[in-house]
Amino acid sequence: MDKLLELENLHVSFQTYGGEVKAVRGVSFTLEKGESLAIVGESGSGKSVTSKAVMRLLPNKIGSIKEGSIRFEGKDLAKATEREMEKIRGSEISMIFQDPMTSLNPTMTIGKQIMEGLRKHQNMNKSEAKERSINLLKLVGIPNPELRVDEYPHQFSGGMRQRVVIAIALACNPKVLIADEPTTALDVTIQAQILDLMRDLQDKTGTAIILITHDLGVVANLAQRVAVMYGGMIVETGTADEIFYKPKHPYTWGLLASMPKINSDSKELLAIPGTPPDLMNPPKGCPFAARCPHAMEVCIDHMPDATDVSSTHKAACWLLDERAPKVEPPEAAVVGGAR
Amino acid sequence: MAVVEREKLLEVKNLKKYFPAGKKGVLQAVDGVSFDIYKGETLGLVGESGCGKSTTGRTIIRLYDATDGEVFYEGEDVHNKKSRSELKKFNRKMQMIFQDPYASLNPRMTVKDIIAEGIDIHGLAKTTKERNERVYELLETVGLNREHANRYPHEFSGGQRQRIGIARALAVDPDFIIADEPISALDVSIQAQVVNLMMELQKERGLTYLFIAHDLSMVKHISDRVGVMYLGNIVELTTSDELYEEPLHPYTQALLSAIPVPDPELERSRERIILEGDVPSPINPPSGCRFRTRCPHAMDVCAAVKPKWQEAREGHWVACHLYDEEAVKQNN
Repeated sequence: MDKLLELENLHVSFQTYGGEVKAVRGVSFTLEKGESLAIVGESGSGKSVTSKAVMRLLPNKIGSIKEGSIRFEGKDLAKATEREMEKIRGSEISMIFQDPMTSLNPTMTIGKQIMEGLRKHQNMNKSEAKERSINLLKLVGIPNPELRVDEYPHQFSGGMRQRVVIAIALACNPKVLIADEPTTALDVTIQAQILDLMRDLQDKTGTAIILITHDLGVVANLAQRVAVMYGGMIVETGTADEIFYKPKHPYTWGLLASMPKINSDSKELLAIPGTPPDLMNPPKGCPFAARCPHAMEVCIDHMPDATDVSSTHKAACWLLDERAPKVEPPEAAVVGGAR
Repeated sequence: MAVVEREKLLEVKNLKKYFPAGKKGVLQAVDGVSFDIYKGETLGLVGESGCGKSTTGRTIIRLYDATDGEVFYEGEDVHNKKSRSELKKFNRKMQMIFQDPYASLNPRMTVKDIIAEGIDIHGLAKTTKERNERVYELLETVGLNREHANRYPHEFSGGQRQRIGIARALAVDPDFIIADEPISALDVSIQAQVVNLMMELQKERGLTYLFIAHDLSMVKHISDRVGVMYLGNIVELTTSDELYEEPLHPYTQALLSAIPVPDPELERSRERIILEGDVPSPINPPSGCRFRTRCPHAMDVCAAVKPKWQEAREGHWVACHLYDEEAVKQNN
C-alpha cells in the first residue's frame, strides 16, 4: 500500500501558567492514499491537537512538538520551516474546521476566498481562478454558483457555508483532507447532506480523509479505519468493522455502551464513571486505568504496549496479555445485536 | 400500556411567541403549539436549531411572556398570574436546567450559594445549619460531595457543573423540571452519566420532565412521549417507541433517517431520505404547511391550507394532509 502520511511517536505539549500540558503523548499512525481514517475521542483526548500538529498550526509560543516525526511523502513536517509549510498547507494537505460560521472571512466574497488558494498555489490568473471557483461551488452542490460566487458568507446558511469551506479545502486537489468535526455545528438533516457530499467527493477525487470527531455514528458512516484516542494516546486502532464489531479496549466498549442506540430498546445507558485524566500530571500507566472497570494493579504503573489483534487491529490494553483474566465486553457495547 | 386516566400536570394550549424582528418583521418562533404533559412522565421535544423548542420551554416557565395562548399548571393559568406571592408559589413547582453549564452558573458565587439561592428566596431553611445540611444533601444526591460546597464553578468540569445545575433545580423540591438541552455541551461518556442521574431522580422523586434536545437517540432513550417541532409548529407527537417505529410525518421520517447510527454495516446498507435545502426563515414562513418547501410528498393543498392537528391513531397526533382524507380528496 502507498503510505501518504506517517506519524511516529508524536508528542505535543503546551506551556501554561500551571505547567506543561502533555496533550499528545506518543501517537503513531499511517494514512494511505485515498482512504478515510477517523480519529475518535472526547474533548481533551488530543485528537484536534494531533491534526493541528500535522498542519503545523499549533499556537506559536505555547504549543510545540516535543518529539516524533510526521512524514508526508518522505518529508518530515515536524521539522519543516514555515516557508515550506506554506507550500503544503492548502495545496497538499488542507483542513476543514468545525465551525463554518467563523472559518470564513466575513469581509470577503465567497469567490475571493476560494480563489485565494488557487492564485497562490496554482498560479492561475483571475478569470481562470474564478471559473474554477464556480465549478467547485457546483461540485459541492450550491445552486446558482455563477451568482453566489460574488456573495458574502452572511448570505449563506450554516450548511451552505460548510459546503463553501469544503470547496475551499478541495480547490487545489489536496492529497490529504483533515476534517475537524466537520458536522458537529450542523443540524442532523444538514449533517446528512454534508456526509453524503464528502463521501461522494472522496469517490470522485481520491483524496485521503482524516476525520476527527466524537460522534460514532458519523464514524460508522464515513470511515474505513478508526483510531480511538484517550488521554493523549491512541488506545485502539483497526478497521471500522473491527472497532464496532470486535472492540478490544475497555474505553472503546465504554464509548459504544454510553451511546443510546436508536435501533434498540435497552433502557440502561452504561456510563463511564469519573472524568478524563488531567494531562498536566498524566498517569504513569494506562490513561484509562482510573475509570476502567477491569483495571488491574499493573495498569496503574505500566503503560501497556499496543498488542496486535489482527494485521490491521491493535489495542493497548493489559487485558490482551496472556496472563490477564478473560473479560467480555458489556452487552450494551455490542453493536448490531438488535438486528 | 393499560388505558389509565392519567393526571395532566401541564396543559399548553395554542401557545405563541413572536419576537420583533426589524422594522416590520415579526419572527414567529413558536406559532400555536398545544400539548399536555402527564404527571410523572417525560415528554421529549426535538427539532433542529431554530424550530422553537427552546422558546417553547422558556415561554412555559415564563422566562418569556407568551404572545398568545395559555399554559395551565395543575389547572391554574400560569400566564395570568400577577401578584408576586402567586408567582413565587408557582416558581417553586417548576424549575429549569439550562444547556450551557459554563454560562448558567454565576462564576462569583460559591456552589453552596448557587444551590441555596432558591432555598433562601422561598425561606425553606430556618438556620444556617439547616441551609448547609440541605445543600450537602443535594450535592450528595447528584453525585458530588460536601467538600465541593465552598468551591467556585470554574473548579468543576462540564459534567460536574451540570450536576450543580440539577442540584440547584432540585433545591426547592419542584414537581416539574424543564431541561433545555441539558447534555448537548457534554462529552458522550459524561452525557450518559447525567441522563442516568436524571432518570434515577425521576424514579425517586416522581418528577415530571420536559426534555428539550436535538439529539433524537438520547430523547428516545429518556422520554415516554416525544413531540417533533419544525419551524414553530409541532408536527407529530406520540409515544417514543411508536415515533421511532412508525413515524407518520414526512419530516419525522427524514429526521430519523438522517441520524447516523454507530453500526458501519447498517450505515452502508441504509437508504436515506435526504432533505433538500435549508429550513426557511421564521420571519416569513411558507404558507399552509411550513414543511412543504422541503417535503418529498408535497401536494397543492399543502400550500393553501394549514394541516389540522389530528389524532391519526390512538395517542398518535400528526399535522399532515397525507393523513387527512378530506384534504387528499380535495387535492385530487
